[in-house]
Amino acid sequence: MKAYLAYIKSTLQLTIRDRLVLFFNYLMPLVFFIAFGEGFGASTSTGAMAQVVTMVLMLGVLGTGFFGGGMRATAEREAGILRRFKVAPITPAPILVGSLFTGWIVFLPTVIFFLVIARLRYGMPVPEHSLSLLVMVSAGVLAFRGIGLIIASVVNSMAESQVVIQLLYLPMLMLSGATIPLNILPDWLQSVAQFLPSTHLYMGMQNILVREQSLAQNWVPLCALVATMLIALLLSVKLFRWEKGDVLKPGAKLWLLGVLAPFVAIGMYQTYSKDNLKETQILARQMRRGQTWLIKDARIFTGTGDGRVIERGSVLVKGGRIEAIFEGSAPDAKSLKAETLEASGKTVLPGLIDTNVNLFLPGTGAPDPDGVRQTRAMQRALGAYLYCGVTAIRTTPDPMKIAKELQRRVGAGEMAGAEVILGEAPPQGSRSLVLLDSVAGNHDLLKDTLTQQVVKPAALEKLRAWAATHPPKSGATPQLPPPGPMMTLSGLPGLPHGPAIHREMKLRVAAGAKPKDVLLDATARAAQAIGASGRLGVIQPGAEATLLIVEGNPLEDITVTERIWNVLFKGERVRRDDLLEEKK
Amino acid sequence: MSAAAISVAGLTKSYGDFQAVRGIDFEVAQGEVFGLLGPNGAGKTTTVEILEGLRPRTSGDVKVLGFDPAADTLAVKERIGVSLQSTRLPEKMKVHEAVELFAALYAKSVEPNALLKRLQLWDKRAAFYSTLSGGQKQRLAIALALVNDPQVVFLDEPSTGLDPQVRLEIHSLIEEMRDQKRTILLTTHYIEEAERLCHRVAIVDEGKIIAIGSPRELQQRVLGHARVEITTVEPLDGVPPEPYTPAFSADRRHMTVSVEKPARAVVDLVKWLDSQGAELDDLHIKRPTLEDVFLELTGKKLRD
Repeated sequence: MKAYLAYIKSTLQLTIRDRLVLFFNYLMPLVFFIAFGEGFGASTSTGAMAQVVTMVLMLGVLGTGFFGGGMRATAEREAGILRRFKVAPITPAPILVGSLFTGWIVFLPTVIFFLVIARLRYGMPVPEHSLSLLVMVSAGVLAFRGIGLIIASVVNSMAESQVVIQLLYLPMLMLSGATIPLNILPDWLQSVAQFLPSTHLYMGMQNILVREQSLAQNWVPLCALVATMLIALLLSVKLFRWEKGDVLKPGAKLWLLGVLAPFVAIGMYQTYSKDNLKETQILARQMRRGQTWLIKDARIFTGTGDGRVIERGSVLVKGGRIEAIFEGSAPDAKSLKAETLEASGKTVLPGLIDTNVNLFLPGTGAPDPDGVRQTRAMQRALGAYLYCGVTAIRTTPDPMKIAKELQRRVGAGEMAGAEVILGEAPPQGSRSLVLLDSVAGNHDLLKDTLTQQVVKPAALEKLRAWAATHPPKSGATPQLPPPGPMMTLSGLPGLPHGPAIHREMKLRVAAGAKPKDVLLDATARAAQAIGASGRLGVIQPGAEATLLIVEGNPLEDITVTERIWNVLFKGERVRRDDLLEEKK
Repeated sequence: MSAAAISVAGLTKSYGDFQAVRGIDFEVAQGEVFGLLGPNGAGKTTTVEILEGLRPRTSGDVKVLGFDPAADTLAVKERIGVSLQSTRLPEKMKVHEAVELFAALYAKSVEPNALLKRLQLWDKRAAFYSTLSGGQKQRLAIALALVNDPQVVFLDEPSTGLDPQVRLEIHSLIEEMRDQKRTILLTTHYIEEAERLCHRVAIVDEGKIIAIGSPRELQQRVLGHARVEITTVEPLDGVPPEPYTPAFSADRRHMTVSVEKPARAVVDLVKWLDSQGAELDDLHIKRPTLEDVFLELTGKKLRD
């Protein structure tokens, strides 16, 4: 024990005196921190901030593991320093444990240092699970220190160690997700990444920082990192060499692979289950939802009261919620640490809500009998809704419980699409004019721009063929409906998912309703009908930042609701064009 | 238990096809300073490192303080002090830190400050290793060898590469250790060092001991005789009595006599000079050096 303490103390002193350590542990990550912090707009998004913090921590962990642990152990052997210890009555254990421990203790202040800077400079809140983060990073440092020691154990010279370290360092840094978002990489590369410890360390840190998960929820990466450290320690004791002259057999280098065993196991499991690929999607989405936005100089249809409109104002969106509304001239986006959406001449509305659709019906004909394809079709339908500015739908549950699963996926952020509310619409709640129109043989909906955009050409063909067999009936003029929450009954024949709500609004206005009332039907009243009052359907502080921004003034001309400029879903600026992409 | 601190019998060590040590036997008594003298590559360092427990041996019996260094490595390391031929410390390690660190590695250790003072490193205690001179580094190496108050000290080439002044300093340090009755095994290729410091010397060449004994014994065994050289003020006429058979210089002022017992011879010869009425100008006793011994035994010089 005395030997361990003395050795650790000495290594610590030497490490602190080493300017390279200062450089690699603090200065270089700090430069990256500032550069990327500014570049990523870290101050406008807690997600981006978390990404920057994770990146510099990852740089630090890999640096201290490979260069601080691996290279230094090799250098000490080469210089004949270890030889001097060899004549003293100690085993390799204190030297190895000393290296692990020193790496850890020197790195901990780095973590705190960067969290403090993130707080002071970019206003990142103190992480909910700071302690969990520290434990996760600690496990990471120890595991990578261990990997460094194993490298030192199997290489025969500094030159060899350089080669091995570069071979491992770069892929681990690039594929971890810390530098390049994993979800933009090709699938096969994402699968490769699942075999790397750095990827799991990154996921662990991100889960804790962004998704506010606890350590227990990340037990897999944690255990794998700890196992890596233990295996590395055992193997380095076994392979330890005191002198440059003791050359290892080439085959012994394969021990290096032994240390990666826990992650090979995880990688194989992930290749099979793809869990982490989903997690990656979720993380990316969580980060986008964390962005701070200032929607500037827009007309705001608040959905509150009797349909209150702010003719010129700004909406501040933060952490997925509406933080504040400013009437009149807009505040400075920079001082609010927000990204600006310049919206003069545009109108911000709460996201539209359709209180009654049949998600499991295709809107074109018979439902697909194949369960997998059914899931895909319904997934696409939710995308189509969101594309059209419909941010929530209520659907009757389907027998296969696919809608329930999709509800979970959208909620978790695994996929993009309209929020799913499961339930039956009350029988006397409202009426669908667009359905009545369709039944009357009026198929204008199929000519709408949005319909052309969201319905696949083949399905559109089918729809047109169906429409041709249902010609207009004479004398069937729809009656003026009582005002009520918006419903379309999309999914029934002739009513494809997504665009129908806009035609419904046009029909209601055409039947004599005021645009303001129709908009209320599609927002606040619809929200009330589906039990989401206050959360959805209104623009007020505390409500969910699920918004639709259209070009023009729908209060004067209801058809402008189709001229969608942007959709925000729980704070995320939706990439509309990606929604309709064929998912593999 | 034998009184020998170190005993080596039939020791061999091969590296692949190369036989570095080819059957070495010797014993070192408690309190003895024993030198292994030989050129580079003779197998001295290999032998010493086997004794220190740093290397396994190929065959033979080895005991250090009654322990087998290959089997009871830690027990041996605990009790010995070692100054290695080639070793370094981290550049940014301070002198006192090095001593304290190594002191902590042993079950028993001396007080670091006293050790630093004794080795005249006190003024340099806060200096980084990289700033030390060659002599200071060597003194530190010896300090580290003494940090556990060892019964046996191994000094591998303790003065190699040092300038003569510093070498003398190191020699007096070793003499001090000798006076403290420590057992010392010293390897060197400096003759003067072996002659000055060692009770006994083994001459090693090509992995074998070719001669062993005190420096004096070795000299006598090899050449048998010392030489007495006498210079007189005036040329000499007579010839000294039996058994002395001198050789004279051309001017007969210099007389060289080979003798077995130089002390007896000096007394006899000075008496004879007196009886001749000759005035003594100078008198030397010349012994054969280990260099001569080495040359005689191996046919080669110790240093190239």
